[in-house]
Amino acid sequence: MRARAARRLRSLSLRARVAAAFGLVTLAVAALLSFTTWQLASNYMLAQRERGATDQAVIDARLVSDNLARGSPDLPALLVGLTGEPQTGVVLRVGDRWTSVGQVDVNALPGDLLRAAGLGTPARQRLVVHGAPVLAVAVPVAPGGGFFVELAPLTELDRTLRFLSATLVAGTTAAAALGTLLGWWTTRRALRPVSDLTEAAARMAEGDLGARLPVPPENDLAPLAARFNATAEALEQRVQRDARFASDVSHELRSPLTTMINAGEVLRRRRDELPATARRAVDLLTADVARFHRMVEDLLEISRGIQAPATSDLEPVDLGVVVENLPADLVGTAAVVVERPAPLVLADRRRLDRVLANLCQNARVYAGGVTRIAVCRRQGHAVLEVDDNGPGIPAEFRDQIFERFARGPRPGRGEDSGGTGLGLALVAQHVHGHGGRVWAEDRAEGGARFVVELPEVTR
Amino acid sequence: MATRVLLVEDDERIRQALGLALADEGYEVVETATGEEALDVVDPDLDVVLLDLMLPGIDGIEVCSTLRSRGDLPIIIATARSDTADVISGLEAGADDYVTKPLVAGELAARIRALLRRRRPDTTGAASANPVVQVGDLEIHPTREVVERDGAALHLTHTEFRLLLELASARGDVVTREQLLQRVWGYDYFGDTRLLDVHIRRLRRKIEHDPDEPALVLTVRGSGYRAGGA
Repeated sequence: MRARAARRLRSLSLRARVAAAFGLVTLAVAALLSFTTWQLASNYMLAQRERGATDQAVIDARLVSDNLARGSPDLPALLVGLTGEPQTGVVLRVGDRWTSVGQVDVNALPGDLLRAAGLGTPARQRLVVHGAPVLAVAVPVAPGGGFFVELAPLTELDRTLRFLSATLVAGTTAAAALGTLLGWWTTRRALRPVSDLTEAAARMAEGDLGARLPVPPENDLAPLAARFNATAEALEQRVQRDARFASDVSHELRSPLTTMINAGEVLRRRRDELPATARRAVDLLTADVARFHRMVEDLLEISRGIQAPATSDLEPVDLGVVVENLPADLVGTAAVVVERPAPLVLADRRRLDRVLANLCQNARVYAGGVTRIAVCRRQGHAVLEVDDNGPGIPAEFRDQIFERFARGPRPGRGEDSGGTGLGLALVAQHVHGHGGRVWAEDRAEGGARFVVELPEVTR
Repeated sequence: MATRVLLVEDDERIRQALGLALADEGYEVVETATGEEALDVVDPDLDVVLLDLMLPGIDGIEVCSTLRSRGDLPIIIATARSDTADVISGLEAGADDYVTKPLVAGELAARIRALLRRRRPDTTGAASANPVVQVGDLEIHPTREVVERDGAALHLTHTEFRLLLELASARGDVVTREQLLQRVWGYDYFGDTRLLDVHIRRLRRKIEHDPDEPALVLTVRGSGYRAGGA
């Protein structure tokens, strides 16, 4: 499970990278488009507004100019009439006399503008009056530096431009998000065959030789899938051939072995009638014939166990019942702790018993015996724990001990025990055959703990 | 009188060594190499048959069912592996027990002793306490080792009878497979419930009205069996 999560994380990071790249490219393109749109539209609208305001100011200035030339007394009324809308205003300077109407403060008008107008040059400038954007247009109206300034509000334009910019920013962001999503989805589709391949290869590495990939009819990865399947097929056949050979050899060995065992038994029963030398020879002989026997049995079991257990052998098994019925000579003085109700697993009872027996035997040979056997649940899995008080297993040996003929960290010691070197390999094989995992860990109190994790089934 | 064992094994040297070792354990061994020969030499004085399933000519399964049809002679079959169809078919053919090769005389002797022990009528425990045990429409007479339905006796082997009696005596409580193996077969059958399952199947065929829908011997998923119809 942990390995699978790690694999997912690696493929995820590639996907994340591709998705981010998609997102960035979309963002860049959308931002460029938005920026261009903004420039064109805002310049155009501003130019329009300015032209309109200037035309208006020029017309108004002519009216004022005519009025001044005629010396008409209704100039103030005219000026008031020119400031119809809010946020507008006019300023008139004739000689040294300033007249202003509307929301305008003469001192707030920029000096450059007034100076230019005073010199007889029309000018315009954008400014902010009372927090609102306005356009000030200055037109000379009378000889001798008289000029007329009209303020036109830009609020409407400002609002339009604000709306435009908000729309463009939102559009750009949405495009980038869509790009990221598209990238995510595309890579998921594109990488699915690769993650299938990874998954299948990993299953194979864990011992499931039947793992195959679906071969897509039209796909760039089809040759890869086909080649993988062919390789897997060849490997499976080869492993099975080897297993069959080991099985055949063990079978053939059993006939002479039977003769040896039984002849040995007769000798052992009559041990006391033998001279000392012959007695020692008989002891050596029968001890090793017994070891030979166990080895042949283990070899047979391991070679036929390459395939997962047949479904006809699988039945719901109560782990509590299993540990409570272990033979007393295996359990010894160990505490048996069972979580109630005990978890149920779908298993071949014979193989499950074998797993526990081998773990107990292993503890006896290498760690002076089992101290605790427990049945519990961990994260939805049924778990068996077999503890000992031995020296523990160095981290670098924890995988190795489950290999065939592995002898543990202290070679030589196992030789005296009569162990076959296949016990833990059989444990691993049987547990994997049931879709479970087995590993060794250190106990906080010292000693080793072997943990068997199996899928739990409901009662 | 020494226990008489008929040893049916085609491999010459295995037969000799096994015969020698069994004789050394105190058994009187009759050796034969083929099934035909075995069927010829079977006589009422034999106590147990040790039968290799792989035989030239008539195979072990056939010898087994022929012997069973003739009577209750205890049969132990020897198979190559404990997880093959051989075991099932041998037990279905009427064998009481099985051993896997390579055969070891000491282990074999223990099996033979257990097998012969359970053939003696049970005069302690369940039997003497209950003169007649009732399961559904069956009447079990422990002392006479007879099972009757409507007054007519059903023919069960000793092993099947003991199995039924153990279940019936629990009066509907669950009896675990381990308890059944321990009580009926009489020694530690660590990790082998196949033996029990086949015997239960055989028993059901004989006593149930519909063996596919058992009403008298019920399976308790994950743990064992119990008597129904009480």
